[in-house]
Amino acid sequence: MTAVSVRDIGKRFGPTTALQGVSFDFHPGEIFALVGANGAGKSTLIKIICGYYPDYDGEILVDGRPVRFSSPHEAYRNGIATVHQLIDQGVVPNMTIAENLALAELLVGEGAPFFYRPQRIARRAAEIAARMGIEHLDLDMQVADLGQSDRQLIAIARALATDPKLLILDEPTSSLSEREAERLFTRLDRLRREGVAILYVSHRLHEIERIADRVGVIRDGRYGGLLQAPFKVAEIVTAMVGDLDRSEDRVAVVPDPSGPPKLALRDLVVTPGAPPLNLEARAGEIVGVTGLIGAGKSELAQCLFGLRAPVSGQILVDGRPVASANAAQAIAHGIFMVPEDRAANAVVPEFTIRHNITLPFLRDFAAFFSWSGLIRHDAEKRAANRMIGAMGVKCDGEGAMIGSLSGGNQQKVVVARWLVKPSQVLLLDEPYQGIDIRSRHDINAYLRAHCRDRAVIVFAADLDEILEVADRVVVLNHGAVAGQQLVGAIDRRQLVHWASQAPETKFEGRVAG
Amino acid sequence: MSRKVEMSNFFIRYGFLIVMAASFLGLGLAQPSFWNGHNQFSILLGVTVYAILALGLTFTLVIDGLDLSVGSTAAMTVMAASYCMVVAEMSGTATVLTCLALGALIGLVNGILIVRLRIPDLLATLGTMFLIQGLQLIPSGGRSIGTGMILPNGEEAAGSFSDGFLFLGQGRLFDLVPTPVIFMLILAVIVYVILEHTRWGRVFYAIGGNAEAARLVGAEVDRYRIVAYVLSGLIASVGGIILAARVGRGDVSSGGGLLLDAVGAALIGFAVLGAKRPNAFGTIVGAIFVGMLLNGLTMLNLPYFWQDFIKGVVLVAALAFTFGLARRR
Repeated sequence: MTAVSVRDIGKRFGPTTALQGVSFDFHPGEIFALVGANGAGKSTLIKIICGYYPDYDGEILVDGRPVRFSSPHEAYRNGIATVHQLIDQGVVPNMTIAENLALAELLVGEGAPFFYRPQRIARRAAEIAARMGIEHLDLDMQVADLGQSDRQLIAIARALATDPKLLILDEPTSSLSEREAERLFTRLDRLRREGVAILYVSHRLHEIERIADRVGVIRDGRYGGLLQAPFKVAEIVTAMVGDLDRSEDRVAVVPDPSGPPKLALRDLVVTPGAPPLNLEARAGEIVGVTGLIGAGKSELAQCLFGLRAPVSGQILVDGRPVASANAAQAIAHGIFMVPEDRAANAVVPEFTIRHNITLPFLRDFAAFFSWSGLIRHDAEKRAANRMIGAMGVKCDGEGAMIGSLSGGNQQKVVVARWLVKPSQVLLLDEPYQGIDIRSRHDINAYLRAHCRDRAVIVFAADLDEILEVADRVVVLNHGAVAGQQLVGAIDRRQLVHWASQAPETKFEGRVAG
Repeated sequence: MSRKVEMSNFFIRYGFLIVMAASFLGLGLAQPSFWNGHNQFSILLGVTVYAILALGLTFTLVIDGLDLSVGSTAAMTVMAASYCMVVAEMSGTATVLTCLALGALIGLVNGILIVRLRIPDLLATLGTMFLIQGLQLIPSGGRSIGTGMILPNGEEAAGSFSDGFLFLGQGRLFDLVPTPVIFMLILAVIVYVILEHTRWGRVFYAIGGNAEAARLVGAEVDRYRIVAYVLSGLIASVGGIILAARVGRGDVSSGGGLLLDAVGAALIGFAVLGAKRPNAFGTIVGAIFVGMLLNGLTMLNLPYFWQDFIKGVVLVAALAFTFGLARRR
């Protein structure tokens, strides 16, 4: 008996296939966790199930009956209730708890009364609250006065009020503390006993280990396996990264050990309470830093780029300690960074390709004197064309708007921006997000060919992406280096073990192989 | 590219200028004295003050903000200039420098309110707009300032507008081109060069497009945003100085309508050459277009009370053109 099933789901965005042949069953009274690396297709599948993408292949069955949703509202009416990642999109902060709980039926639902009737709302809200086990909250309180976990419970309670066939929780703990998350889990246990089918999406594998009955894995847009409880985090990671016995035939470039390293971190503490981190990167090598979500990759990258002050410790560039209070200072020290999430952090949408490429170093194209501020457009054009050719950006020339490019080509442009000038250290934070394999190869080929005079550090959660480009793989776990290996001697089991060790374990940094 | 797409691209790029040229021809055919050289300069003279304000405003639009206080800044500058000359008996140069400093100071206050206190731009500049409107009345006790006015202490004001200062607003080059028009054109070229051909302009646009991306390429975003408001205030005071020099007195109600005309010109500028973004050339063309249309229609005996309506129609049509039609590309 299944509540909701998905059969052979496929989805294409233009030429890219995001999902292909994915099938899962969701049973009543079961917490089904969906996992996959960034870009594996998790959120695409969720969006299909909750009606955001009406155009897909395959079918969805509710109670064994095939359905096709043309809108989120239709999915909702067919019993698919979704609580999205951003809690504050799920509640109205300046209304009371009661109003929030009864919002759907009394204010916008069918048969909603024309007039606002407080007694009726209070009665309905009390029912819903009792079901969720939050009747201890004062229902007349403003939601704005509540903490994140209570808001989350209210959003879930409201979703449950319609007796959904399937409750989808998308990263429900992403803004909760550990204690708040624990409270949520007790409620979810209770809902499971009541026979609700729950589809639980999370990056936090330790939570999944704790709460899920079954785990479905999506890998590269395809079905990647199904695990039954009890499972270990390492097993989940293994399923996510795929074949552990695959070997890399590349040989690591061993950099010249003489002289100071381009980048050295001495007892660097990035987040309060984290153990000190030590790491070196030399010119000519590409270091891949990986780890699960929350291991501290992005935080480390941001710290090196001056966006976050270190708690303690030192950053040395070419043997000299540097401290950067902002991006401008980091750039002056020769540390460049391609940030994660290019749409939010890198692309200037109204700009041409040329203007996007030259943005960080406009001073280098100054006419007459460096302080004149005037830009030599011909020199700028030449630089842009040089980078477009070198990176293989597919476009109608440097004057085309960046928005006309595919995601992969946009990414090449924002990477190219940092290659116009030599640097000491080039950081790339999740540079392969949402780009095709071809673009990934183009970017990697360029990085490899041009790393002689700079240390390149790639931060990515996906092990395959890291193994494709790196000479040395460094695994972070809870803010510290859990271990590192050279690419010619990769033992994926060991890497997965380092990445998924429980936080209590004391790490010993070591180089294997 | 299909013929249809080519046509629509051509129309998006040159549509506004074609409409403008057609209006120029049509108004002249209907009323030949419209084409008269003196009339052409009087059109330009008529738009100068708000065109200058619009140029300053363009900086704030470029960084994705808006400065609603430009009109009252200009009005306050009129009062300040009159006060400096008539009551304080300062020299023309000192008056101009004082006014420019005041304008820049107002811009700085706006910038700090918006960037440091994080007040939304519309609210912050709406607040300073009211503040300045009130402030300008205080030194003169709520009265207009003119030569020979009676001061609150009963004495007659001894100072007067110097000829040099009045030349800024009333002079003509070669007995033909009004000085304000020259100032407007010089300022337009300066703003154009800054925005399109300097790295500072590029960073302004980058901040407007994606402030986070600008920050992550090392731009000091906060400083640039403050500078945009300072430039806006400074340029607004230039407009105010010219207005004061033109009318030769400090009228308490001189700033009315300037703000909306300036905002309108800058927004109409989005449609010029299919720019879809604030730009100096478009701003000036937008200001001149509105001035030309009103001048021509007035010559054709359009009643004065139609003017605001015509401005509104032009503005809404230009915005619909920019954001509606151009999006279909």
